[in-house]
Formats: sequence, structure tokens, C-alpha cells
Amino acid sequence: MASFDAGGLTAAPGPVDRHMSAVRFLGQDRPYWHILVRGAVLLMVTLGIYRFWLITDTRRFLWANTEIGGESLEYSGTALEILLGFLVAIALLVPLYIFFFLGALDVGTAGPTTTLAVIALAAIGQYAVWRARSYRLTRTVFRGLHFHQTGSGLHYAVCVLFWWAMMAVTLGLAYPFAQASLERFKLAHTHYGDLPGRFEGSGWQLFLRGLPLWFAVMAPTLIALSALLAVDWVLIGRILQSGGNTSDILARIGQQAPEFYGAIGLFVLAFGFALLAALALFPAFQTIVMRWWVSGIRFADVSVTSRLRMFDVYKAYLGFVALLLVFALTMIVIAFIAFAIIGLLFGTAEQSKFAELFTILAMVGLYVVSALGLSTIYQATAKLSVWRLTAQSSALSDAAILEHVKAAGEPGSPLGEGLADALNVGGL
Amino acid sequence: MTTRTGAARYFDGLTSARHDVTLELASHALVIRDGDGAILDQWSYDRLKHLSAPDHIFRIGLRKNPVLARLEITDMDFAHEIDLLAPDIDRTGASARKIRRRAIGWAFAAAIAMVLSAIYGVPLLADRLAPVVPRGFEQRIGAATNAQVRAMLDKGPPGRPFECGEAAIERAGLVAFRKLARQLEAAANLGTPLHISVVRRAEPNAFALPGGYIYVFQGLIDKAETPDELAAVIAHEIGHVAHRDGMRAVLQGAGLSFLFGMMLGDFVGGGAVVLAARTILESAYSRNVENAADRFGVQVMLALGADARALGRFLQRISGDEASTFSILLDHPTARERAAAINAIAPPQSRGVTLLDPGEWAALKRVCAGYRT
Repeated sequence: MASFDAGGLTAAPGPVDRHMSAVRFLGQDRPYWHILVRGAVLLMVTLGIYRFWLITDTRRFLWANTEIGGESLEYSGTALEILLGFLVAIALLVPLYIFFFLGALDVGTAGPTTTLAVIALAAIGQYAVWRARSYRLTRTVFRGLHFHQTGSGLHYAVCVLFWWAMMAVTLGLAYPFAQASLERFKLAHTHYGDLPGRFEGSGWQLFLRGLPLWFAVMAPTLIALSALLAVDWVLIGRILQSGGNTSDILARIGQQAPEFYGAIGLFVLAFGFALLAALALFPAFQTIVMRWWVSGIRFADVSVTSRLRMFDVYKAYLGFVALLLVFALTMIVIAFIAFAIIGLLFGTAEQSKFAELFTILAMVGLYVVSALGLSTIYQATAKLSVWRLTAQSSALSDAAILEHVKAAGEPGSPLGEGLADALNVGGL
Repeated sequence: MTTRTGAARYFDGLTSARHDVTLELASHALVIRDGDGAILDQWSYDRLKHLSAPDHIFRIGLRKNPVLARLEITDMDFAHEIDLLAPDIDRTGASARKIRRRAIGWAFAAAIAMVLSAIYGVPLLADRLAPVVPRGFEQRIGAATNAQVRAMLDKGPPGRPFECGEAAIERAGLVAFRKLARQLEAAANLGTPLHISVVRRAEPNAFALPGGYIYVFQGLIDKAETPDELAAVIAHEIGHVAHRDGMRAVLQGAGLSFLFGMMLGDFVGGGAVVLAARTILESAYSRNVENAADRFGVQVMLALGADARALGRFLQRISGDEASTFSILLDHPTARERAAAINAIAPPQSRGVTLLDPGEWAALKRVCAGYRT
């Protein structure tokens, strides 16, 4: 069963002659839609408390339908577990929040203490991310054994903060090296039973593949910023302060600083282009990172290769965009009808408390439905497709090793997941 | 007795090795036998639990078992027979749905409880706590808030002092303003010092912070037609200080942030709900607070023998077109409502008491005249 017919992988370079095992994804769209739509409705009704059940349901679905070498994964975590973890995390965070609250009173506005507090919170957040990962790994069962994670969350948090600083300084160029370093750290502390993991992706490889994308987004951004630098802001400031009505000011700017309008135009144009480029290139970026990441995963002598195709990822995102447009149109129509009904029922001439209340309720309701709808559509289309494509395009070499692993590691505590949720740094 | 048997895949939870086994549905337990017929394990039916798996696989394990042993069955008829024997297994999902419905019910109740505590609990708690907060603590919060507010307010071009009354032609105005403030402070008799100042801002507005900091904007003095109108606004702000409304607002803000920010989590759209809920709730809290401050102001004005109805008149004049915005989002009741409420408790002025003589009032009107834009 561990062997399989190589299917589309016959053209794979390198380890194709070795013993290869396929990864498959069996999940259908329909049941996943069902989980997500029901979840979105219940999130609304329970003010978000249902999220513990929703996240558990989605993980169960995704794990159970992902099959490696003929055996499917199992997510053994429960919603109650992460709910309790969340409550404990809240209890731990309350004193911390009170401490920050009182601290803020003593020092007033932005000072070195505030900066320290922000850094400390970010570090706690990353510590929580680490612990949440540990929880997810120990709740991932494969062939009767669970994964587990060793290593220090604090160490990880310090590494993340360091790399964030590096990325900020290098305008994002350090991103590949940050990813490589952090993934090495994560996988070196990841184990499947007694089988140690490691990461072999190189930062340079990702850097070279991602560089064209970086240029495509950063070049117009830099043009936009340099356009602003060309403006004599002192002069503009003086014109604005000299008073007069708006058209006067605009006319004077045209006379005294004729380059101003050109610069603003260039800024809008270049910045808009950068934004569009970032959106259009996101699927390409995701493909490159995903392929690089999957291909870097190792467990002892088991290696993974990914042949994820950019074209497929773009198709998945096009599906998402198409559905999004339909949804947006529907929401506009519903909004129009809702406000028309409110207008008809209460009239607009007279100030009516009911009309106001219903208008505000309708606005908040429409906003929430739109936001949840957007997220649901994204998860059910783009995200599920990328998961499926990533699974289907991956293959394991020497997977026979996976059949002789011994159990190891203690189950992780759900506190990490709860902490991550309380600090709003949760993830799949 | 006939015992039904079937094929399964077995993982013993100790190693990842897969065993092709034969399951035997004995009367007492599920017996797991390897290819040679040797018994590998026996699982009693009442400990069996159904585990998450793809649709074509029936996966079971043992409850409260630290070892993650698994059995996987693909023959769904055989799975059905195990289902019948094991009390905790329900492949139709009916019992799982029941548990889930109960969870949803509790979550819904928790959500209702949160909303109720936001509407009633938080203001009640703030009301009870604000008066018992030590004065020294409130002074520190006041000083911190004051520094924050000053940093936030636009102070105009550099070189122009933010506070009025420093330039030579403004001094007489400041003397008159202090006289007015002193009379109000004495009539209010709070027992703590107030810090009342006039600042160069064009809006007709005034506000109070925790710790007795009161700011009167230049725009308000420009719009005031009589000393009593200005005095009435300051008396209203002193009312906020007397009721420790600033402190209460700080406590309410902290309570709401905790309740919604932390408990609600980061589900999509939550941010906007939090913001909307906070705005509406804080406006609602503060409308009651404004009415109370109005009543306090009226008492102060009556104690001074001044025109207690001046506030309502003044408010109606400066608010003008305010009515076009959403009134449930306004943190003050509408000027018309407030004037009516004030007139209901304040008799028309009978004695001709004047807080400032015409010369002082003229000087006060020019308290910010040193730095006209």
C-alpha cells in the first residue's frame, strides 16, 4: 500500500527512481462549505465563541482527508480542550493587562516603557504561536503515533523578533533568510514519534526565486516615495498656512510649486501599480514559498518534494475572485433593499430613534456578514484549493522508514493554543 | 454462538507498523487477532470511541488510553455491527450533534451574558468603583491623561502659547476668568483643587478630565454672550469632576476593552462589532452622565444666584445643526432635550446677581486676543 503508481510524477527529476510515496487529498468541496457556512452563522450568533468548534471541525476535515502513503492523518484535538486553554490563558493575561494599564498611567504617552511593553507583548504572542504549534503537532496522529515538538518557545520568540527587525531594515529582502532560519528551528524541534525532523530549504534559493517579485512591487513603491521626496514640502507648508479658501490655496500651489501636482499624480499612479502588482503576484509568491517549504521538509531519511504548479494556484485564486464578485454584488443588492425598507418604514423626514437604531444595526450586520462571507469564501475556495494542490503535488521518498517509527513525546498542553487565541495570533 | 469476524488495519500505538488483522466480535469484547490467529489485544465495547477519518474509513480507538492504538475498518457493514455493540459509538452522528447543540446553547448563553454585562454590568461596576478610587490615584491618572490630551490637541503654530492669558493684552482677561472660576469653585465646594484653563482652539467646546483638569476653548468664549453662559458651561464641567465622570469613563473603557477585545477573539468582522458596540454603549453611558452634570451645574448656578437657565440657552444657540447626525451616537443628549430638562428644575433668574461687571466681561472676551490668526 505504501508503494503507488507514480502517476504524474514520472517526470520528477532526482529521486524518482527511489521508493516514492504519494500524498493525496480526498476532501470534497461540499462538506467543507457546509462546515464553514454553518460555522460563520454560529460565530455571529455566539459573538465568536463558536470559533473553538469551527477551528476543530476544519482541522478534523483537512487532516482526515490528507493521506500520506495510503494512511490518512487524524486530528485528535477537541474544541473543549482549546476553550479551556483559552480560559486559562485569559486568567494568566489579566494580571498582565492590569500591569500594562497601570504602567501606562505612570508614564503617560509613548516612551521607552511603551515600546518595551509592545515588544514584550509581541514576544508573548510568538511564544504562544510556538506553544500552539506544539499543541497541533501532538494532536496530529498518523499511523497510531503523534507528532511532538521540543525546544524553547522563548528562544523561538527571540528569533522571530530578531528576523522581524531584519526584514524591516532590509525592506523585506531578509524574508527568505528569516523563513529558512525559522523553519530550520521549527523542524529541528519537530518529531514524528522518535523520527527527528529537519529543514533543508536554503534562504538563497528562495531569495533568488522571489527577487523578481520583490522588484515588481518595490520598484514602483520606491518611485512613488521618491516622487514625494521631490516636492518642496516646506514651501507647500507655508502656502497651506498662509490661509485663504481651498481654491486660492490650490491656485497658489500651481503657481509657486508647479511640480507638486505632477509629483502627486506620479505617486498615486506608482503606488496604485505597486498595490495591483502585489495583489496579482500573491499567488505566484505563495506557490514559490510553498514549493520551497515542502521540498525542504525532512524526517530522518524521508524527504519530500513538491511539484506545485503556479498555473493551478492562479486558477484557484481566479475561482475565489469570481465567487467574491458574485457575493459582493449580492451584498450590494441586499444592502440596497435593507435601507429601502428602513426608509419606507420609518421615513427620513423626521428624526426617529427606531430608524437610527435599525440603520446602525443594518450597517453593522451587513459589515459582519460581508466580512464573514469574505473569509468563508476565501477558506472554501483559495485556501482549500491550495491545501489540496499542495498535497496532491507532494511526494515522499523512502517513506518505508515511516513504517518503523516508535512512539515518543508527551501530549502538548492546549494552553498555547488558548494563549495564541487570546492574543489574536491564532492560525490554522 | 456465532461470532462475526471481519478484516481491519491495526496500529498498536507503540510503533507505526501496520498490522493486517482479523477482528472478532466476541460477547465481552472486540478481539484483535493477527494473521496467525494469535490475540494481539482485546478492546471492551464500552471503551470504544469513534475517531475522525475520511468517509470511506471507520476508525476507532479506546477512550482514556494514553497509547493511540487505532483500528481502521473499510467494510461498512462490519462497522455497523461494531456500532451496534459499542454504546458510545454512533455513526449517524446523532449523539455528536446533541453534544454540539448543547455546546452551541452554552456559547449563545455566554454571548448574551457578555452583552448584558456590557450594557448593565460595566457601568454599574464603574459607578461603584469610581467613588472609592483614592484621590491620589485619580490625580495620577488625571496627570497622565492631561499630558496625553495636550499632546493630541493641535497647538497651532510654534511660538504661540497654547493657553490664553499670557500676552500683555490678555492678562486682564485672565484675571477676570480666574475671578469667575474662583466663584464657581467656591460654590461647588469639591474639596479638591481644580485646574481650569483657557486654550486657543476655535471650536465652541469645553471638557473635563479626571483629576480636576478643565479646558475651556477660545471658541466657547467667543460665542458666549453673557458671563452666565460661560459660567454655566464651566459649572457643568465642574459637575463632571464632582461626579468623577472622568475616572468612571476610564474604568468603563477598560472594562469594555477587556470584555469585547479579549473575550470576543479575532473572528472576522469582530473588530467592527467591538467598535460599534463600544461607541453606542459609551454614548449611552455618557448621555446619562451629561444630564447629571447639567443638574449639578444648575445647583452651582442657583447657589451663586446666577442665571441657571443660561446653559440650555447657550447650548441651543451653539449646537445649531447638530440634529442631523445620529442621536444615539451622540455622547450628549440633544441641546433641546437638555434645555428642557434644565428649565424643568431651574427657576428663571429672579435676583440681578452679576458674576462679572461689564468691564471684566469685556476683558475676558479678549483673553485670547494676543495671538489672533
